[in-house]
Amino acid sequence: MRNIFAVAGIVIKELYRRKDFYVLFILTVLVCLIMASVNIFNDKQIVRYLKELCLLLIWVSSLVIAITTTARQIPAEREQRTLLPLLAKPLTRTQLIFGKFLGCWLACGLVLLCFYIFFGALAASRDHAWPLLNYFQAALLHWFALGVVVALALLGSLVFAAPSSNSTICFVIVATSLTVGRYLDTVALSQAEPFRSVLYAVYFAFPHLEWAFGMRNLIIHDWPLVDWGFAVLLILYLLAYTAAFLVAACLVFRRKPVN
Amino acid sequence: MTSPRTFFLTLVALLVLCFGLGANLQPKFQSFENARHQSDNFFSLLLGDSSRMFANSFFIKADAYYHSGYYPTIFDNNEAFKTPHVAEDTGAVNSKNQGEETSFMGPPRDWIDAFGRHFIPNRHTHLDEGGATDDLSTSDNVREILPWLKLSARLDPDDIQTYTVTAFWLRRMHKEKEAEQVLREGLRNNPQSYEILFELGRLYKESYDDTGRARNVWELAARYWFNLSPDDQKENRLILEQITTNLGQLETDAGNWPQAMNWLRLAQKISLTPDALQEQIDGIKWKMSEQPSPLFLISGGAFY
Amino acid sequence: MNVILKTEKLRVEFSSREFRQATKVALAGLNLEVNAGEVFGFLGPNGAGKTTTMNVLLGFVPPTSGAAYLFGIDVRQPIARQRIGYLPEMTYYYKFLTAEELLRFYAKIFSLPRAETDRRIDQLLKLVELEHARKRPIKSYSKGMQQRVGLAQALINNPDLLILDEPTSGLDPLGRMKVREIIQRLKNEGKTVFFSSHELGEVETICDRVAIIHQGELKTIGRVHQIRESYPTLEKAFLNIIGYQPQPAP
Repeated sequence: MRNIFAVAGIVIKELYRRKDFYVLFILTVLVCLIMASVNIFNDKQIVRYLKELCLLLIWVSSLVIAITTTARQIPAEREQRTLLPLLAKPLTRTQLIFGKFLGCWLACGLVLLCFYIFFGALAASRDHAWPLLNYFQAALLHWFALGVVVALALLGSLVFAAPSSNSTICFVIVATSLTVGRYLDTVALSQAEPFRSVLYAVYFAFPHLEWAFGMRNLIIHDWPLVDWGFAVLLILYLLAYTAAFLVAACLVFRRKPVN
Repeated sequence: MTSPRTFFLTLVALLVLCFGLGANLQPKFQSFENARHQSDNFFSLLLGDSSRMFANSFFIKADAYYHSGYYPTIFDNNEAFKTPHVAEDTGAVNSKNQGEETSFMGPPRDWIDAFGRHFIPNRHTHLDEGGATDDLSTSDNVREILPWLKLSARLDPDDIQTYTVTAFWLRRMHKEKEAEQVLREGLRNNPQSYEILFELGRLYKESYDDTGRARNVWELAARYWFNLSPDDQKENRLILEQITTNLGQLETDAGNWPQAMNWLRLAQKISLTPDALQEQIDGIKWKMSEQPSPLFLISGGAFY
Repeated sequence: MNVILKTEKLRVEFSSREFRQATKVALAGLNLEVNAGEVFGFLGPNGAGKTTTMNVLLGFVPPTSGAAYLFGIDVRQPIARQRIGYLPEMTYYYKFLTAEELLRFYAKIFSLPRAETDRRIDQLLKLVELEHARKRPIKSYSKGMQQRVGLAQALINNPDLLILDEPTSGLDPLGRMKVREIIQRLKNEGKTVFFSSHELGEVETICDRVAIIHQGELKTIGRVHQIRESYPTLEKAFLNIIGYQPQPAP
């Protein structure tokens, strides 16, 4: 475990020494503050459009950070030849994969913490309310959804040659899941075979990240907390997919030449 | 090897060419009809005619907010949402809604669908009736639909419904000044709009209790309606009924009974409930017989 | 003599991705033994199989057949690498880290206690003369400084066996001298050094024994003075052993 945490620590250091997070955070803050300054019929208590915009930017930024950070981990190690002195140490390939995953995932967690604190402050400035438990639940499910994305991107970085192609494919898969994932079975019904079977297979096999994404609407419109039993079930579901992608990544990496 | 002088002269020549072409093309561009650059609306300038598509989306968004996010998508059964409820509740539009509005998603299709419904809004509510919390003290939250209505109006200044719906809800929130501003902006963009005039009249009557201005504006609205082609009149009978019944009521309250009866008879011709209007007319006749009122000249035979 | 490094009929084949291309044999049954405390030179022309041998020893490449052992442990076990240090030919490290952070990271992988880590870092940075740059990110280092960081990370766990792949490659004469001094110092401490190099003059100076391989086969192994017995220099011996025939003058 120490090796895994050591590798994770390096990934987190890399994140806060690169500019990506700061640029996205500042952009989010700027856009939200500009939108907050718009006068809407002299009513200073209107807040939901701001919450929606902020949460959308948080989701987009977190996905960008998760995918781009993870997609370049192993390829950059290979390209910069830092993989050789690393694997020459008593560190297994499995530990390296788990270390990279943990680092990227924890880094995403830190990013989410900063973003959600800003979101809470922005909402409270108009709402004068702090539904902390609701925000915590949404952020937690968001974080576990990002775990699936990170694991997927890590697997992709071992399968695809270039980080850019891996990132593009991951973005397409995630965007499809978030927007139409819920309705693939409905779309499948209107298709002819064999496309119908393919869509059904995708519908049942692929991770339904839109469940965590849908929490946004509950936060925006002040719906009560989701029952914690269902939230825990969702977390377990997301963890299962994360584990599956990680195991696949370990299996692929074992067969890959290092240099 | 080419010298710096050659580079410089080439650059100057290219700049002169660009300037000359620009000066030559500018008058041609200016003369394009309906050119976007002539618009003073930022969104029209940026998006052109596609801003109307966005305008409709944002109007629907306002309705989605009205329902606290519980709203059908293109994949769901949206028969009960063909006319947005934010507009339907104003009472001033022809509603096309049918079917059950509380269960557009239908029963869960499989375990994935069933599980996923725990993480999205899953109950039909209206913001002005307490919204997701069912707490009537939070009914003020209907203000949350306003940004989308405002944006929709900006993106499509020609959509009259946006102004009337916005004004209706602003009035409900006791923001009369803002409602008037919206309607006047709508009139600037749509000078002949009887719907906006009708809504303006309602503002004067119900919020300011200014019956004189309400009457003027409603009569103007009726005149504009009669300027429509016969086909357009057939499509827009509801609004005339509302204008004439409101005028009838206004004149009844003011004691101008013959005028009131004229308006009510006009409304009766196009109303789906003529019997109710007949009752009102009979009521006025009875009052007239009990208490004769001063005669007012009926202006404009064009009203018949 | 205690055998630290051993290969037994080590064979490595790479199958070609090209259609109808034969499999390339990188190593053909290599038998090698390196004893504790000696400085062992591993020589051969380019493409002879030196780097492949090192890759097998470090667990980067699995052997097609045969076996390799470090301290008696099969190289496929990660624990075999607990007591070794490795300096690759081209040294690149995490550019966003400082030298100190890099060494601390590698020390964690070796599970060194914190106090020991601090002591080792100070000692090594002094040894490789990078104390003045310990807080600067590695991306600001020159090639020579990066090579020295590489040497420091190879020594962080106080290894009993040091595997160096062309340690003086790209260094100026002063840098090469320093590397030679470090290798000599390690030998005096009883460490074993296994390195490959094209600088035969250096090999002649510091190595106890050398092995020469060519086209995946071990051509000769023994003490330096034994190998170059009949030749004026080690270079001539090397050329003769690999079968180099000089072209007659036109």
